[in-house]
Amino acid sequence: MTANILDGIVLGLQFGLLAAGLTLVYGLGGVLNLAYGQMAVVAAITVSLAMDAGLPVVPAVGVGLLVGGLFGLLLDVTLLRPVYRRRGEARVLLSLLLTLGVSFVVDGFLIWRYPLKALTLHIGGGAVELLGVPMRRGSLVASAITLVTFAGLFVFFRYTSLGRAVRSVIEDEEGARLVGIDPKRMLRLILVLSGVLAGLVAVTRSMVSPVDVQSGLSITVFALIVTVVGGLGSVAGALLAGIILGIVNVVAADLIGSYISLIILLGAAAVTILIRPAGLLGVKE
Amino acid sequence: MLEVKGFSAGYQGNDVVHDVAFHVAPGEAVMIIGSNGAGKTTLFRAMCGLLSPSSGRVLFDGDDITGMPAERIARLGLRFVSAERHLFPRMTVQENLLLGAYPHRPDPETMSVVLDLFPRLAERRRQHAGTMSGGEQQMLAVGRALMSKLRLLVLDEPSTGLAPLLAQAAYEALGVLRKRGLTVLVAEQQVPLAMAFSDRGYVLENGFIRLQGTTEELAANPGIRRAYLGVT
Repeated sequence: MTANILDGIVLGLQFGLLAAGLTLVYGLGGVLNLAYGQMAVVAAITVSLAMDAGLPVVPAVGVGLLVGGLFGLLLDVTLLRPVYRRRGEARVLLSLLLTLGVSFVVDGFLIWRYPLKALTLHIGGGAVELLGVPMRRGSLVASAITLVTFAGLFVFFRYTSLGRAVRSVIEDEEGARLVGIDPKRMLRLILVLSGVLAGLVAVTRSMVSPVDVQSGLSITVFALIVTVVGGLGSVAGALLAGIILGIVNVVAADLIGSYISLIILLGAAAVTILIRPAGLLGVKE
Repeated sequence: MLEVKGFSAGYQGNDVVHDVAFHVAPGEAVMIIGSNGAGKTTLFRAMCGLLSPSSGRVLFDGDDITGMPAERIARLGLRFVSAERHLFPRMTVQENLLLGAYPHRPDPETMSVVLDLFPRLAERRRQHAGTMSGGEQQMLAVGRALMSKLRLLVLDEPSTGLAPLLAQAAYEALGVLRKRGLTVLVAEQQVPLAMAFSDRGYVLENGFIRLQGTTEELAANPGIRRAYLGVT
């Protein structure tokens, strides 16, 4: 059982990181980015290409994260312009359709240009014992990076004035404007951050299993599930929901079988939404 | 300090306020009184950049701020405290106050002045703004505005949703700020409260300024006495 819980937490941290970038953009700007998984894949392919070009791992990862952030910036200054001019449901719907289009284009391009490219980061050395359970070194490194990232996010949102300004827009956009905060600039910042987080998702995931050019859709889908369960706009909710769903997934796969774990995962998400429509830590609209 | 000329604004092409003109001099407390639906909120929202005016000009310290976005107007030191308050409900009282100073570093001295003026906020510093009573939220909304480099405080119906005693307390706090030299523009439908506080006033009816004068003149006007002060 300890092994299951630990594996669940490892998977859950990955889920949580997946959702963090998506939930922030939705909570802040009412923009549902269905090209989120493609942001991650583009970052992964960039890292892989940079390493092919002879760059060592760490700088290559840096370039990948930078490209992820630029992807977010590019969306903000181009396709999302007309989205920002709309409010409420119209905004969500238009953002969803446009970014879905982006995801098709990016997928198509990658499959055409780099059909066999995939990113796998090998973390050497055998298993490490944790609470008496042998764990893969790659999983532990990925989890550590995720934990540090979340700690960084919490410090940023709680203790910096810029982070508070971002939260204030999630809380009350008009109130934020009345204290002199420009919601559009905060949204641009968060889109860049979300691209960097997508890049981190790809990098940490590639330490456990390969990220190939077709991973985009599944990354987006899992991010959506975790986001909805955690509550839109809540980073803490993303982490909590990620860990719960991670444990549910691993335990279900062990007790029943991995063929059914996805159904159980979706069931758990559906039940959460029925009981708490705003998600675990979400705000009621 | 503030000058509004030929100002019209409304929603979807239907003007709610028409050709309004008024001014506020430094150090003054000016009221705009009128019944519910007279256009006070529309006037303020358009003036503070939350709504585009259809015509007219707004000058703040001689600079034209007509149609400027709300966040830029706020940074100039013209702070609007709306009747809905627009606090950040899941952030603490302290965080709400700190955000009032954005983008500048919050000044600890200003913070202690605000907390002295509203001791309730000091007691509830770590509490979420959304869990406080209406009166406390009003204090926080004013306190948040005070944290900025405030030049002109614009208040829309500060008595909204407050019990009579609390509404009175809110105006007493504003009176203290006035004595310290703050310039205030307030819209109010509870006219006696505003009259006890203001130097001058304008009467807004159906979107037009019908009357203006010093508070004494307005208080002596038989029409005002009948319509707003309950005197027959």
